[in-house]
Amino acid sequence: MGRASVGAAVMNAYRPPNPYRSLDRAGIALGLVSILSAGFMFVDGAFQVIQIGAIGLVVALVLGLLAVAAGLLSEGALMLVSGLGFLLAASFQIAQLAGGSSGFLGGNASTFSLWLALGVGLIAIGMVPRPEAGEETPAAK
Amino acid sequence: MTDTTGYAAGPDYRTGADYTDANDVTADTDDTDDTAIRYAATPAVPLLPSRLDRGLLAVVRIGVALLWLQNVGWKTPPAFGRGDPPGGLYLSASYAVSHEVLRPYAWLMERYVLPNFTFFGWLVLIVEAALGAFLLIGLATRFWALVGIAETVAIALSVLNAPNEWYWSYLLMFLVHLALFATAAGRYAGLDGVLRPKWQESGSWAARVLVRLS
Repeated sequence: MGRASVGAAVMNAYRPPNPYRSLDRAGIALGLVSILSAGFMFVDGAFQVIQIGAIGLVVALVLGLLAVAAGLLSEGALMLVSGLGFLLAASFQIAQLAGGSSGFLGGNASTFSLWLALGVGLIAIGMVPRPEAGEETPAAK
Repeated sequence: MTDTTGYAAGPDYRTGADYTDANDVTADTDDTDDTAIRYAATPAVPLLPSRLDRGLLAVVRIGVALLWLQNVGWKTPPAFGRGDPPGGLYLSASYAVSHEVLRPYAWLMERYVLPNFTFFGWLVLIVEAALGAFLLIGLATRFWALVGIAETVAIALSVLNAPNEWYWSYLLMFLVHLALFATAAGRYAGLDGVLRPKWQESGSWAARVLVRLS
């Protein structure tokens, strides 16, 4: 194999790094945190970081899976949807706490804090402008 | 020479180049040549060049976030423990008066905070929930580390002389927030590390503010 062909092989093998990959990974991580948080339904005592009820469990799993899917598919819009869902759930939770009970979501102020984190995080990631399909990415310029 | 961000000043930092990816533990690791080229191209030395150190700092940040996140759970609206007998947040806040630490703070609590406790209870709940939330995801971490310091001081001034309190707990809380601020801990496995390069590229005022806060 000549030098020219080795060079060509190297050039062909090189793929520019995806500048949005770290955003997608962060979205996946936040989704996984939500899915893992569902496990607190089965934890009591000092290690129960958040309180979660049956409907809260569904919220955590569905929105968490949506965030993971958004990250895997590199879909910023889907991350926004997931983030808005978490903020909506957090708003419902705090409104129910203001009424003096855990309400139908079955959470507490810690659950509100976690969903606030996931909502804000996913919205922050989803709001980063991404090039449309076929458009040149910054790394490819 | 280092600037306020804790990094040695270099041309890439000032131009907002994407050097933080090399510090980010979530960054691409399968392209070692790319990382090597970035290190070679930038004279700036990261504050934490070791992957282990960055990971440990992320553990500290997340651990502190969980501290706030779990402890906001016993702040229960709408009464926040106000009643007969008092409990929860109201009882803790009332220690500032019954077991005075600092006279002006006790006066402030007795005169303004305890009589309007619903408002201040909500304020504490929102601030502590936000502290847990933002430290957990590592967004605007330096700002929230400062908020954590302020909140720690407020708690310490309330309960430091209360029965069965260990004053080093509050000193440790103060110091760990100081460490999160000094190391800009959200840049390691946090959203600050992922989003800061984008904010640096952007000319918007919001992006400039976020660069400062992270």
